Amino acid sequence: MPVDTTTADIGSPSSPDKPEPRFLENVAKIFRGHPAAICGLIGISIFIFLAIFAPLIAPQDPYDQTRLDILDGLLPPGSTLGDGTTSLLGTDALGRDILSAVLYGLRISLFVALVAVIVGSAIGVFMGLLAAMKGGWVETVIMRTVDLKMSFPGILLALMVLAIFGTGIDKVIIALIIGAWASEARLVRAVALSELKKDYIHAAQLAGLSDWRIMGRFLFPNSISPVLVVLPMSISSAIGAEATLSFLGVGVPITEPSLGLLIANGNDYILSGKWWISIFPGLVLVGMVLCINVVADRLRDHANPYLRGKE
Amino acid sequence: MTDQLVHVENLTVAYPMADGAVFRAIDGFSMAVKRGQIVGVVGESGAGKSTIGKATLGLLDENAVIDTGGVMLDEVMVTRLEEHAFADIRGSKVGYIYQNPMTALNPVLTIGEQLIEAIEANTNKRGQDARAYAIDLLEQAEVPLPEERLSKYPHQLSGGLCQRIVFAIAISAKPDLIIADEPTTALDVTVQKAVLGTLVKLTRQENIAIILITHDMGVVAEMCDYVYVLRHGKLVEEGSTAQVLSNPSEPYSRELMAAIPRIDHKIERFAVPGGLGKAEDRERAIDYLMSRKADAGVEGAPLLSVKNLSKTFTMKATALKAATDFKAVSDINFDVFPGETLGIVGESGSGKSTVGKMILGLHKPDPGYEITYKGHNIDDLTSKAQKLAHRQSLQCIFQDPYSSLNPRMTAGDNITYALRAHGVLSRAQALELSGDLMELVGLPRASARKMPHAFSGGERQRIGIARALSFRPDFIFCDEPTSALDVTVQAELLNLMKDLQDQLGLTLLFVSHDLAVVRQMCDRVMVMRSGEAVEIGACDKVLVAPEHEYTLGLLAAMPRFRPEEVA
Repeated sequence: MPVDTTTADIGSPSSPDKPEPRFLENVAKIFRGHPAAICGLIGISIFIFLAIFAPLIAPQDPYDQTRLDILDGLLPPGSTLGDGTTSLLGTDALGRDILSAVLYGLRISLFVALVAVIVGSAIGVFMGLLAAMKGGWVETVIMRTVDLKMSFPGILLALMVLAIFGTGIDKVIIALIIGAWASEARLVRAVALSELKKDYIHAAQLAGLSDWRIMGRFLFPNSISPVLVVLPMSISSAIGAEATLSFLGVGVPITEPSLGLLIANGNDYILSGKWWISIFPGLVLVGMVLCINVVADRLRDHANPYLRGKE
Repeated sequence: MTDQLVHVENLTVAYPMADGAVFRAIDGFSMAVKRGQIVGVVGESGAGKSTIGKATLGLLDENAVIDTGGVMLDEVMVTRLEEHAFADIRGSKVGYIYQNPMTALNPVLTIGEQLIEAIEANTNKRGQDARAYAIDLLEQAEVPLPEERLSKYPHQLSGGLCQRIVFAIAISAKPDLIIADEPTTALDVTVQKAVLGTLVKLTRQENIAIILITHDMGVVAEMCDYVYVLRHGKLVEEGSTAQVLSNPSEPYSRELMAAIPRIDHKIERFAVPGGLGKAEDRERAIDYLMSRKADAGVEGAPLLSVKNLSKTFTMKATALKAATDFKAVSDINFDVFPGETLGIVGESGSGKSTVGKMILGLHKPDPGYEITYKGHNIDDLTSKAQKLAHRQSLQCIFQDPYSSLNPRMTAGDNITYALRAHGVLSRAQALELSGDLMELVGLPRASARKMPHAFSGGERQRIGIARALSFRPDFIFCDEPTSALDVTVQAELLNLMKDLQDQLGLTLLFVSHDLAVVRQMCDRVMVMRSGEAVEIGACDKVLVAPEHEYTLGLLAAMPRFRPEEVA
């Protein structure tokens, strides 16, 4: 019997009732056979867990000044404190438990970076789509602004913003958003321009759909994948940028120390042999950025069809 | 040296799949090629044609496994050779000609460097000898001004010339066999004819055998001595070209031959099984589509009238070049009457798609034009509602089924999203309509929930038709809607379009480079060359007894599929 080729695959494995591959299955497929990336993924999970549950895990509330005892100051790792507890990672000059401070610092560092990157990317994606869709002067204004932003060293721009607005967690987030959106806008615009040439966009135009609808339902979902791939990389660089600003003393306030500020606090003591104050927050910072970068690398390779063929 | 050159014995090439299953690209295939013989391997995409050629040259993908059998070339079992041993075979014993000559040549080396490199690698000619031989080869391959071409880069030459250079490289070592994998698919018909002529001449002269891999029966009819028909990796039928083409014995080959559009006479429908949906759903869809406002303008007047249509593309000035104008379309005039199909034919770059895109409003024509649709000048439409109604009344079926659907929407949403967005249909109505339209175009309504990637090219094209129909258009611009499809799928789709046109009274503007498809689909045809209309008139006249010599040339260049004559 001659099989009708146009309907032949209905009812076969790719049939209508087969659910789309599950998210977890997809994740497993991306990471299988890449031990470094799996370690990174586990590391990220641990860091996120620690950050979320810091108040439950930390032996001490580092913000509670009344609980601190100056007599416990600058004790090395493993010392017994005045209240009889053991300080696993030592204490700083104020008698604050380093482990607790690191857990809370991790929380702030992650929060600041995540909010900044998500908001920054959203703005960048919108700007990129708008530039591609509208063209003309809208595109010129957006893309020249991007060029202008890209011509400043990131840290200088952030310092300028903080000098104008003052310091504080919200101000640091604003500074990081200003740093993050431009490269996303450039990326999305390039992808969107190539999507705009495709016929499904023409079909939407023939249907009389408005530019906004074409942008939202047609262009956006088809241009977003590369941004998702670079997202982890953006988060790790935002963590680094926030740490730098805080280390320089223009970032988060001293009352809510992030990892960068903790490192800065220990900086004065490092030459007098009190290494633990800076080293532990530093190790956590490096570990987290490393984990995210390893995972980000894997995602980027997976998204590159050329490399995928080589596996 | 025996007469037998290639012997493929019970070859099975398998690919392990991600889900543990095994995909057999070639399944128990046997074939024999004699010296100097031209053998055709035909079949639809995915039939495994190219795999045979690759197996012969050891070019199979790394994960491919040869399960059984093998390929004997000149009494050597090549499928068992080690990788390094292939170096003695590739080029010197077997030449390979690729589908796309532009990508087969290295863009950063001159023609001379590539040709001489091949000569020095596979023959004992060196230096000036090699150069002289290169010029000689180019002359044989009928490349004009061979000495000058040696210093040119591939991008400076046309596709046809590049393919001739690939021929010259392939025959440089006087191999016993040339594997030509769709050698002219990327070329225009007029170029194809001349290029194939050269290939046959060269190989006859040196007694080189050819395995010609193609989907084009016209090319097979003109070139091959013997044909193998392949389907899903299995041999369906083999025999002399005359026998297989004119009197195929297997049902599949018969269907394949019936699906080939013929230029010499118009047939009502192709004799291929059509996938029809549920009658009840189809009727509901037809009722919906027929309920459009019957406003075809004045009786007997054209539905669409185009006057002085031109389009100039301006290339922006760069540091090296001043701005240049390229006239894609110049001064086109034509009328399309309600219910008829007007074809536009021409080679690539003749501006035929641009004409359609201007009518649809996707490109803005040069000033001075006049497009009248349903009796109104389209530039006189002022109100938003009028403009929207006009826009939706003209729809398009696009060329590339793989880019014409939004990959992030289900098939059903692709069809009815716009109507819902405009507030014409509720969610439930949209679901109902998309299902009905799916059945109308021959797809099961349940598959409306699937994403586009789950459909084949032909099925996607059907979804594209359903989307165009959802607006109840009067006019559909068909931009080479079947050029990316296999011939049987093409036949089914053309049948469907004819059915829909008969039932709905649609007016079609049908662009194609394939004269035979135009003959089967159109009432009248316009022939275009470099942006100008060469000839316009009834198909029965223009494609049978053309007045213009360009049309005559196009017709003469078309590989003819006329089984009666082969036999």
